Amino acid sequence: MIGPLLAMWQADAAFPSGGFAFSNGLEGLAASEPLDGEALERMIAGVLRRRWATADRVAMLHAFDRASDLDAVAEIDAEVEAATLCEPFRAGSRRNGAGLLAAHVRIATPGAADWQARVRAGRAQGHLAPTQGLVWRGAGLDAEGATLASGYMVLSGFTTAAVRLGVVGAVAAQAVVRRLLPLLAELAAAPAPDRIASFAPRLDIAAARHARGELRLFSN
Amino acid sequence: MLHPSPQTFAGAPKSTAARIGIGGPVGSGKTALIERLIPVLRARNVNLAVVTNDLVTKEDAERLRRSGLIEPERVLAVEAGACPHTVIREDPTLNMAAGDELEASFPGLELIVFESGGDNLASTFSLDLVDWWIFVIDVAGGDDIPRKKGPGVLKSDLLVVNKIDLAPHVGVNLERMLAEASAVRNGRPVIATNARAGDGVEALADAICRAVLFRE
Repeated sequence: MIGPLLAMWQADAAFPSGGFAFSNGLEGLAASEPLDGEALERMIAGVLRRRWATADRVAMLHAFDRASDLDAVAEIDAEVEAATLCEPFRAGSRRNGAGLLAAHVRIATPGAADWQARVRAGRAQGHLAPTQGLVWRGAGLDAEGATLASGYMVLSGFTTAAVRLGVVGAVAAQAVVRRLLPLLAELAAAPAPDRIASFAPRLDIAAARHARGELRLFSN
Repeated sequence: MLHPSPQTFAGAPKSTAARIGIGGPVGSGKTALIERLIPVLRARNVNLAVVTNDLVTKEDAERLRRSGLIEPERVLAVEAGACPHTVIREDPTLNMAAGDELEASFPGLELIVFESGGDNLASTFSLDLVDWWIFVIDVAGGDDIPRKKGPGVLKSDLLVVNKIDLAPHVGVNLERMLAEASAVRNGRPVIATNARAGDGVEALADAICRAVLFRE
């Protein structure tokens, strides 16, 4: 039973990784159009289908599979850099990856220190998804648990940000989470494609606008 | 007794710079104190950098970068995601990563100052992030703040009472406020400052040098 526990451990917001500081486009979207719980749910469903399942999950799993080969992980990392159109998302992914890595290096997760050294040396970007794959493999998660942890963190990250932005209440947010869990489970069970691809233009535009804003609570 | 590094696990990178935190309520004068501290510490040949945790803007980071007191690239901003206490306590990893980045960029760095976003009396720094931390309150916030015994007031390694020049104008008995602060802290250090005039800043620099740089 250690597999599910390890996945819960990593998906738990109490595990410090810096994720709380990123709204991943939601703050920009909420500033440009009225959002309610239903709109939030549709938006998150779209991100799960067209970004998480096809890009974040794929990069994480590819890095998970090749975690012992840092050159291979660096190639996946470079693919994430190249395939992420929006600069605030690239920067956020690198910073969130650095946060996750900082925690895993300090708790001595196998592989984390070598990957951090490579990132610090400028020989990798250290994006979140490949970093998750690498450190979660080192931490002993299985591929299924890593996939679910990755997806759940996207889902709960959006709803937590939505609560802080006043889009929904803390209890209503959990109703959104509950309604989206079947979709997450369905997407997680599907075979991962070979290449990274994503399409979430509304959030790309919202994040780009947000990056130019004077006032903001979140990093992206 | 302080440990020179917050990183105690095998495999953790060797940390070279001491890391200190400066927290406190909104408007208590954290940034002003840092602006005064930088030239004093640099005059003592302390190789330093600053990480700010602005809440909704990059105001504090930009203010320090434009101050001419320190090279702009030695100031990093970490946005706090609406949670100024989370980014220094429950999840300090973004700040830890910023500190790691500064250490990698500036070999020989001796001191990294983490400025918290303005918070309330409950904010405290994680010892994962800093070796030693200061909590800044000010007389204009009310002379009852020490009596309220917030965790910041009680647990900080050093309590700074700032804006002491305003005491007569806001009806505060400074002597009593300082005595009460010292009493609730069981005699742990309290320093009175007027950051705008620089009063008390040398004493603050002395305390930092003694505590984390092991210099008298």
